[in-house]
Formats: sequence, C-alpha cells, structure tokens
Amino acid sequence: MTKNKLNRRDFIKLSAVGVAVAAGSRLIQEAQASEGVKGEHQWVMVIDQSKCTGCGQCNLVCHANNDINPDLDWNKVLEVGDVDGKMVYLPRPCMQCEHAPCVEVCPVGASYYRDDGIVMMDYDKCIGCRYCMVACPYDARAFNWEAFTGDNPAVPEWGEPDIERRPRGVPEKCSFCYQRIDRGTSLGLKPGVDAAATPACVVGCPTGARIFGDLNDPNSNVSQLLKKHPSYRLRENLGTNPRVYYLPVTENRVVEG
Amino acid sequence: MKTIFRTIRENIFTPWGIWLTLLGMMLLAALVGGIMVFWKGLSITNLTDLVPWGLWITIDLSSIAVAAGAFSMCAAVYLFGLKRYEPIARTATFIGFTGYSMAMMALLLDIGRPERFWKSFVYWNTHSLLWEVTMCVGLYFTVLLLEVMPIVASFEWLRKKFPRLAEKMEHMHHYAPVLAIFGLGLSSLHQSSLGAVYGVIKARPVWYRPEMSVLFMFTAILGGIALTLLASMLAARLTSKAKVNDMLIDRVAQFLGYLMIAYLYWRFWDWLAQTYTYEPGRTEGFELLTKGPLSFNFWIVEMLFGALLPTILLLYRPTRQTALWRMLALAMIVAGVVAFRFDTNIVGFLAVIPYIPGEMVVHYTSYTPSLVEWVTGGGIIAFGLLAFSVGVKYLRVVDHRITSEEHEVVTVKVGEAVHNA
Repeated sequence: MTKNKLNRRDFIKLSAVGVAVAAGSRLIQEAQASEGVKGEHQWVMVIDQSKCTGCGQCNLVCHANNDINPDLDWNKVLEVGDVDGKMVYLPRPCMQCEHAPCVEVCPVGASYYRDDGIVMMDYDKCIGCRYCMVACPYDARAFNWEAFTGDNPAVPEWGEPDIERRPRGVPEKCSFCYQRIDRGTSLGLKPGVDAAATPACVVGCPTGARIFGDLNDPNSNVSQLLKKHPSYRLRENLGTNPRVYYLPVTENRVVEG
Repeated sequence: MKTIFRTIRENIFTPWGIWLTLLGMMLLAALVGGIMVFWKGLSITNLTDLVPWGLWITIDLSSIAVAAGAFSMCAAVYLFGLKRYEPIARTATFIGFTGYSMAMMALLLDIGRPERFWKSFVYWNTHSLLWEVTMCVGLYFTVLLLEVMPIVASFEWLRKKFPRLAEKMEHMHHYAPVLAIFGLGLSSLHQSSLGAVYGVIKARPVWYRPEMSVLFMFTAILGGIALTLLASMLAARLTSKAKVNDMLIDRVAQFLGYLMIAYLYWRFWDWLAQTYTYEPGRTEGFELLTKGPLSFNFWIVEMLFGALLPTILLLYRPTRQTALWRMLALAMIVAGVVAFRFDTNIVGFLAVIPYIPGEMVVHYTSYTPSLVEWVTGGGIIAFGLLAFSVGVKYLRVVDHRITSEEHEVVTVKVGEAVHNA
C-alpha cells in the first residue's frame, strides 16, 4: 500500500513535470519561430522627414487603395515640431515589427507574420477583442466601431480599391500594400522600383519622401540610403525592431531639399 | 393562467417580489441594451481607439476576481482537509459559477464579433496570455459546472420530478477533491494570467511589471473570500432560508485579515518602486493614480477603505465579532478589489503612449462609459444578484447546517481520496 502510494505520487509529480517541460519548450519554440525573416525578401520603408511636406496625399491614396473608412487612418501624418522655422512631419504607417507585440498577444493568431516580414491581419479569424490595439506601441491599429457602408470619398480621385472592405468589429492596419507587392512580383515587377508593385503611399508621395525596397538586397535603394544616412526608428528601446526607418531632418539636408 | 396571475398579485408586494421586480427591470433594460449593442455595434459605446477596454472589461475582471472564493475555499476544504468549512465552500462554488457566467456575458458584449466567440477555442496562439485565459476560463467553467451540480440537485422540484437525475448530479460530489485539484490549477493559472495580460504590455510602461500577475491572483483570493462571507451573512439576515454558523465565518474572516496584511505589504513595495526615476508614460500614468483624476479611487477606495481599514476591522476582535463591522469590512474589501481592477485597466489608457521621438510630453485622454454600457453592465450585475437570490431561496446555497450528516459517506471518501492522492 505504502509503496503503491509513493508510486502514484511520483507518477503524478513526474507527469506534471513532463507536461510543464513540454509546454515550456513549446512556448520557447514558438517564440523563436516568430523571430527573423524566413523569406528571401525583407520589405522596409524609409521615410525622409526632410522631404515630407505634410500634404497628406499618402493618406488619401492609402484610403483609396485599401478602401478605408474616412474616419479611420492607417497612415496618420503627425506634426512633430519645427527645425529652423520649418514644420517637421512624421508619417506613421504600421511599423511591420520583427517582434510585433500585436502578433504575440492575439489570442486566435489573427495577426501573423508573412515570410517577408509583413505583419498581416486575418480579418476572418479576428474576434474583435482589441488586445492588439492595447499592445501596439505605435497606435497603428484602427478599430471598425461602425460598418463602413457607402461611397469612399477618396475613390476614384486618389485610386481604386484593390482589397476587400473590413467588416464591423475588427481592428485594421497598414499592410505595406501586400496586395500590390504580390500582384507586382507575380508579374515580374520589382517592389520599390516598379510603381505597380510598390505600396500606394510610396507611389503617391509627390515629394518622394517615401522609399520602399528590400533590405536583404544590399544594392537596393533602401539598403543604400540606410548605409549613407543616419536613421532612426520609433521606440527602438522596446526591441520591436520596426521595418520603418526615418531619416531625420538635419540642417544640412533641409538646405539640400 | 389565472393562478399564475393570482400568485404574482399576491407576492409582488412582498420584499421578495419587489426584489425580483427590481432585478427583472434591470435585466429587461440590459436585454434591450444588449440587443442594441449586437445590432448597432460598439459604436454606441464610449470606447475609442485610445481607450478600447472600459467598463465591461472592469466588470469582466471583477466578476472573475470575486469568483475566486470558489477555488480558494474548495482547495482549503478538499485538499487541505479543512472539512468543517465545507458549507462555505458550497456558497463560494455557487458564487464562482455565477461570477464566471457574468464574465462571459460581459466578454460577449465586449468583443467586436460576438458571433465568432467560438473561434477563440478553435484557433490557438499559445503565445498569447489571452489564449491562456480563454482556455483556462473555458475549462474552469466546466469544472464549476460539475461542482455546482450537487448544489442544483438540492432543488426540491428536481428531486421530485427527476429523482434519478438529481441523484446522479448529487453523486458528482464524490469527485469534489479531484475537481478541487483542477480548479486550483486552472484558477491559479488564469487569475494570474489576467494580471499578466496587462503586465506584459511593454508599450504601456505603467502596466509593465511582473507584480501584475501576483497582485491579480492575490486580490482575486481576497475579493472572492470576502464576497462569499459577505453574501452569506447578508443572506442570513434577509431570509430564514439561509442559515450561517457565525463561528465558521468569524474564523475565515480572521484569516482574511492576515491575508490583507500580506496584500498591504505587496502593494506598498509595488507602489514605492514606481515612485523612483522618470519614465515617459509610466510616471504620468502613476501620477494619474496618485495625484490625478484616479487619486480618490487609488488612495481612498483602494488603499484606505479597500485595504487598511478592513485589515484593522477584521483583526481587531471586537469589530470582527460585531456583524455590522465585519460585513462593512468585507464589503470594503470587495469594493477595493473592483476599484483596483478598474484603475489598473484605465490608467494604462488615459496617459496616451508617446512614440514621437524626443517627445516627452504625454497626452491625456478620457473615458466615461456610455448609457448603454452602464445599463448592460447593470444587467450583468442584476443577473448575478438574481442567481444568488434564487440559489439561497431554492438551492440552500447558504446553509451551514449542511454538514457531515448529509454527506457522511462522502466525507469519509473525501478523507480517503485526500489521503491517497
């Protein structure tokens, strides 16, 4: 009896340890799996603040191409102060973080990584709990509090929608116009070089303040720019490793511009 | 039909009738509100992109917290062998079941796509704390369902109409120790995970600290036991259907007083650590609590009335043994736990996170729940009160006379099971 009792106790203990180890290693594996980029490309955006005039056209083409409710923004353009009397702006798309808090916290896995690093939303899986909005350090997500019905005022002047409208009750965000990248590359075009394969905001910027390309390609425009100029990213201390880089306004480059 | 009307006419002006009418009206209003939420969507709430979680989340977190008496008391009775507290565990289990039902209602209102709630059980992101909470709450609700079965089996009507079913449900009591193990495990996991839901959000530094999970777990045990005792005492004063053994309640209340000291200790160091160094977002958020619009909640409701005073009232024997003072202390603990949940949630949103480089200035936003949030929230609370009232009246939920004589066979088995486990 005593022996039996001990055995049972040991068995329970052992199985508890086993389950804990299995669960733990699973979590660690999952955490590792989400790091780094598996794909051949790694799309990044560089925003040159010395060229941005704050006109907001990027946001308009964004609304048209992605069929966004005019009450929501994927791509706010913020005023962030001035340098030598000239207003400085900060356009803020989704940062497409390498370690995206929104992907980590989503209970159903509706936020996920593509192989090229783009942080995607599966609007069919989403239950609308808004934990991703709580976790996002950049306020990059906008919730569909209401259904977007009726005409999109940005269409057709600023472009034609090429993705489906999101339903009421889910948060939405910038996706680097993945649909343009995918369609473009399938036609043999090069994102960042050919307009049809490049995010709409990059194409729509009248001053060329946005530059898009493949960071895995050392000869791409973005790799070259980031090599030449000092750049920064938002809230780098959080370790999210954003894929949107900013070239700050410096006195020198303001004169150049 | 006629007899029904006569019964209603005869009973409506009794205290029970008035109580039921009041709760019924609240529930009806909430039903209308709930239909409006499902029909019109969350745009009729005052939630925004900056404050996406508000009153409903507070109700959800609070009802889960005050439901924690169930696992605490069941663990004490069935695992630690404090058998004589079994009647209190019975009350706690019923309150627990009610609390989790309330939480699920609040969640269903709160999610943007309520018709897809089932997806949270089908699609798993095991890395998400909310996934962990969903799974544990779902499983623990099942445990509670099994645990309340013997209680529901004491419904006279059920016993008469379906004696075999009632007997089967009663039989569930034999598994109480096993269920208590599952209950303890699942509750410990998700009560603390609920705190970690906030505690792991690095983007909002006022939340980002490991104490969050410990504090949520701790306050849940405090609030859960306090509500169980309070509800038992209140019921015993309002109806002859409830019978309490004051000695039992007194002992648990004293224990609660000691737990409160441990809680004060935790809160003190948690508070002190946050007063050091400036960190954008965290410092502003913390000042909202200690100096800003939440300071009344923080200092008076959470600290003075929610922690300090009830600790004294419960540990000082003359006040603890006076029913009124004891009930007051218990009510203050529950209110303090609810306030802690409310403040914790809202403080992370009110100081808007700064992401503009070099911008140390933190913006502030505000949130006041809309009418429909209040009405539906009130309905959820009314549901809880109704469930408990019905439980007291028909299911002997608060009846400290139910002890070994009815479950003699069971308690022996319980003893054995604990011994063997």
